[in-house]
Amino acid sequence: MNNNIRVNELCYSTLSSKNPNSFDTYVSLGGYSTWKNIVTTSYDRKEIIETILKSGLRGRGGAGFPTGRKWSFINQDSEDIKYLVCNADESEPGTCKDRDILRYNPHALIEGMLIASYAIGANTAYCYLRGEFMDDVYSSFKKALADAYENKLIGNNILKTNINIELHDLIGAGAYIVGEETAMLESIEGKKGFPRFKPPFPAVKGLFGSPTIINNVETLASVPKIMENGPEWFKSAGTKDSPGFKCFSVSGHVNKPGNYEIPLGTPFKKLLELAGGMKDGKKIKAVIPGGSSVPVVPGKVMLETNMDYESITQAGSLLGSGAVIIMDEDTNMVEVIHRIARFYYSESCGQCTPCREGTGWMFKIIDKILNGKANLEDIKTLESIPSMISGSTICALGDAAAMPVESFIKHYKNEFLRYINHENQNKEKIFSSNNNNEFVLQKK
Amino acid sequence: MQDNSTYKISSEVSSKINKWLLKFPDGKKKPAIIYALHLIQKENKYIKSIHVDALANFLNLKNIDVYEIAAFYSMFELEKIGKHTISVCTNVSCMLNGSDEILSYLESKLKIKVGRSSDKYFLKDERECLAACCGAPMMQVDHKYYENLTKEKIDKIITEIENE
Repeated sequence: MNNNIRVNELCYSTLSSKNPNSFDTYVSLGGYSTWKNIVTTSYDRKEIIETILKSGLRGRGGAGFPTGRKWSFINQDSEDIKYLVCNADESEPGTCKDRDILRYNPHALIEGMLIASYAIGANTAYCYLRGEFMDDVYSSFKKALADAYENKLIGNNILKTNINIELHDLIGAGAYIVGEETAMLESIEGKKGFPRFKPPFPAVKGLFGSPTIINNVETLASVPKIMENGPEWFKSAGTKDSPGFKCFSVSGHVNKPGNYEIPLGTPFKKLLELAGGMKDGKKIKAVIPGGSSVPVVPGKVMLETNMDYESITQAGSLLGSGAVIIMDEDTNMVEVIHRIARFYYSESCGQCTPCREGTGWMFKIIDKILNGKANLEDIKTLESIPSMISGSTICALGDAAAMPVESFIKHYKNEFLRYINHENQNKEKIFSSNNNNEFVLQKK
Repeated sequence: MQDNSTYKISSEVSSKINKWLLKFPDGKKKPAIIYALHLIQKENKYIKSIHVDALANFLNLKNIDVYEIAAFYSMFELEKIGKHTISVCTNVSCMLNGSDEILSYLESKLKIKVGRSSDKYFLKDERECLAACCGAPMMQVDHKYYENLTKEKIDKIITEIENE
């Protein structure tokens, strides 16, 4: 274990306790003191938003939008009913960080939701958990919610202050698209998860037509400690543009896959070290640094990259949800992108033609390639599809489906060509035009 | 799907639905559909058209309002399935850790193809990532998580179910 990295100080701060998810554990570690202070001193709402803005906290669901700014979009002076929604529909492939917050530190999320509700003037908050969490994850959260109600921290007349905030648990039923914030609003309203056109943005017209703020689990669970310790404490970790801590779900070919909450800007090398290094002493080939929706990055590039928003963008990808999927030298990249393409094909909601049709085309062509039935034309067609989807759809699922395909072909084209069983005169030309590929073509 | 039988929402389920409705603004009924379908599916294993009709009637909604929810969300089963639902995650992180072998092993052990069901087991064709990537390969049995799977572990899990 590397001792010079600060690990699990924020959302996973209860993890080292015996009963991490209990009310008593949370309170013994100073939990709910911020919330109690806010309600009993009639804390200035604008000051809360200002503190979160100053901390530089960015949305941890994938888009990385500054949280304080999002909150500031709510018109404080309007008399409208306002809602807060917590997005606990964790389903970006490779991501399992929120599940551990819900299981092991649910009170941090609840306190964060209360503070956020207060800050934006919402009297009702919903936490929408994905349907597949209905067993232990949901139970853990529900238990915590009941304990917080019992201790009069939620509900009517909170701690006899005349402040009323209801916090409800909701459960989904299996649909990746519901993780998109406006699709989630549709789902809460009891409809199919079809993303909405924006504008109007949810902060203006959201749930049941009212101003609504939607935040990810990790984002909200980060709020209490930032309020308690101040924005400077948060900024003492991370970089100037990516301050604070971030949970990374490290999976794939590593010895110790797991969730690691570390300062943003930590070198990828250190994170890999935390995760026990490469399995079986193999070499690293590629990394998907932010969930399956982001471009793949060659391993040697990642080894020189730091884990913050800006560095990963510079490396040609996105930090996304913080799901770091690591692949070793033996990984068949066509198989990996086949699996990813199958996922987006299954999960496209079908509302927009470019995504509905494009995800199908991409999957079918990759399937054809994998089965040795494709020719060079098919690869050219495949290469042309992502740009026809990107930017042409209501929500980001289209882009999320397009970016990985584009990047896999860019970095690992030789592996696609290996599957082409047709003799083609231009073969040599295409091979030689692709120099950034470590894969060696075996001549038959 | 022709079915001449009738179905009445049980008093236990209806009181749960009514309680759930309190989470939403007055008069809003649709927000309870997903939760109600979970309850009905739990009771009946899968959703039949008579269930959809009964729920629509109960919530005073059009049948299509309920049907489109049952059809859109992948956890709702519209065909007859066995007692236990097994979902093996085959998304990227699990695939990199051998989930395809795990799935084939289950297929041969349970003698059913993925997506099919016997009286006892339904081997769901799971396309989503089930958010336990650091415990890959993993599966859910009736939504309970089983992680770091091996053939031996699967043998043990199935034996436990058999001995229930």
